Amino acid sequence: MKTDSFAEKTARDRARSLLDAGTFRELLDPFARLESPHLSVQEIVPQSDDGVVIARGKLGDNNALVLSLEGGFQGGSVGEVNGAKIAGALELALRDAREGTRIFPVLILDTGGIRLQEANLGLLAISEIHSAIVALREFVPVIGVIAGRVGCFGGMAIAAALCTFLIGSEVGRLGLNGPEVIEQEAGTTEFDAHDRVLIWQTLGCRRRLAMGQIDWLVDDSVGAIKECITTQINIGVTGKQRGAVPRTRDIVTQTQKIQDHATADLEPNAAETSSSGISSGHSSGRGRRWYNALMENAAEHSEGKSVLVGDAQWGTETIRAISVIPNLLARFPRARQGQMGVEEGWGIARAIWEAIDSDLKIKRAIVAIVDVPGQAFGLHEEQLGIHLSLAAAVDAYIAAREFGHPVVALIVGKAISGAFLAHGLQASKILALDDVAVEVHVMSEASVARVTRRSLREVAALAKIAPSTARDVHSFAGLGGISRLLKVNDADEPSAESIEEVRSEILQAIRRARADAKSPQARLGSPAGRASRTMSLEVRRMLESQWSMEL
Amino acid sequence: METLNFEFRAGRQFIQRRVQVGVVASGNLEVLLEPEFSPVSRVRVRTSVDGYREEWMAILRTFFGRHDVAAAIEINDGGGSPPIVLLRLEQALEESRK
Repeated sequence: MKTDSFAEKTARDRARSLLDAGTFRELLDPFARLESPHLSVQEIVPQSDDGVVIARGKLGDNNALVLSLEGGFQGGSVGEVNGAKIAGALELALRDAREGTRIFPVLILDTGGIRLQEANLGLLAISEIHSAIVALREFVPVIGVIAGRVGCFGGMAIAAALCTFLIGSEVGRLGLNGPEVIEQEAGTTEFDAHDRVLIWQTLGCRRRLAMGQIDWLVDDSVGAIKECITTQINIGVTGKQRGAVPRTRDIVTQTQKIQDHATADLEPNAAETSSSGISSGHSSGRGRRWYNALMENAAEHSEGKSVLVGDAQWGTETIRAISVIPNLLARFPRARQGQMGVEEGWGIARAIWEAIDSDLKIKRAIVAIVDVPGQAFGLHEEQLGIHLSLAAAVDAYIAAREFGHPVVALIVGKAISGAFLAHGLQASKILALDDVAVEVHVMSEASVARVTRRSLREVAALAKIAPSTARDVHSFAGLGGISRLLKVNDADEPSAESIEEVRSEILQAIRRARADAKSPQARLGSPAGRASRTMSLEVRRMLESQWSMEL
Repeated sequence: METLNFEFRAGRQFIQRRVQVGVVASGNLEVLLEPEFSPVSRVRVRTSVDGYREEWMAILRTFFGRHDVAAAIEINDGGGSPPIVLLRLEQALEESRK
């Protein structure tokens, strides 16, 4: 073991090692006793800092904020408390940046993504982290470091892709879906989770550098990582990074790589096709049905498309509707049943940027029609960097909001995990049909069982004691995730009357979003959010009280 | 998960400053060590492995036998072996003296 190995250190020691000696000041330290209240009720031992260290300190002449996830605790997964610590700290840095005080954020990402035991609470927190990163990087470079044993996966891989500058070490890995989850969802022939060489060739930071998905590859050494961070902050201070296109907005270059990717071996054999159908779940086809109903057959030529995009005039409002639909002709087989894959993420980004770029005065409304059964689980998807594709969609929705477009989502079917993060969760207002087939959750029950080492029966029983792990839309609404639940006569075959009512609800939501465009953290202020996300609010309140003390 | 509470007669040395060491990982644990000014040193253990009360008692007796301290201790345990538990306790005490 090298004495200055970064990977061998705990999250706290990593944060301390990067800041200048004697300047480390931890916020909400272990003695603040903000542990997760959701773990002990599930018979899991909590950690006093909930697996993240928030530290302020100096890097040379500059103020830095280090957010360091502990990969050793629950795989570095993000739940309500540690998610609120990260989002809340970034929100405070953003507030200061807007008032002219620049604090340079460094995210040390050693994380498997959403904590499955806190499911939708983690999902909401991660959408808030995404929103804060994109808003903050207008003022300062947001630096991400992937140099731990876990790597960086799931919704936090999307967060990594949103960073201005991304450093990876030789021990780091970056991908949307971890090997075990791909194997569970798509079968061993798609991805053998025991094949270490395959894992590193697909997910390793060396691969990511070659794909232009990280900016710098360093040795596993504190010195090398600190030097790299300092250099980037200095560039940030001089403002030289302005004008550089973030990789999530570099649509031409990145989609070219997807175009060029050899597709000869992509066709799955019959066995794989059947196995993928079991756990991933087919889309109900509602995305297309509701798009056509609301847009009055604007998508006559939907064959061969997996992202429907069209404009319509509703009274005084121009609407751009976007829906991801099943497409049997899609190049990537794992995204043929309505999943969000490499082409879908970039497709959404392109549709939104087109609207942003052409609407200079009157900003049309963006309406996401959501029926996404999940992200595409596959080897090719990971090789190409599906996390970046989804991040491009996340970024585009946030940008639309920041540029003054009202953004509204309508959930008509499934809204699952990374797919929902990329298509829906960044809306200012989220509407959902009040229907039993409308589901919001983070992973198939089979995968949850595998990752958390529980039986399927235990996973199903869990929803009763931990509402964030439930899958029905009422539970999600109970977390403040839904602005309004809409009753319709039949969610599969809506009557003309129901369609008209939904359209009128969307218009009202657009008007409210125009009046005060809200970022996702505003959901905390809703009556349901205040009642159920008490820790998210408490963490932010305490963080603010500790934020500005003298160094 | 099991929660265990222990009490020992407080020793004569006070803890200089509160410290946290370790991570709740598999085979590992975190220790939060704080000053205690009452006549009783209290220890709360939350452990992922049920049914080892006697073993915890023995480890803690060893620790308080070696060190004449008054301390409030919280342990969040991911299944650390007895030598690892003792190591973390010693490490916490050492850190608190820095």
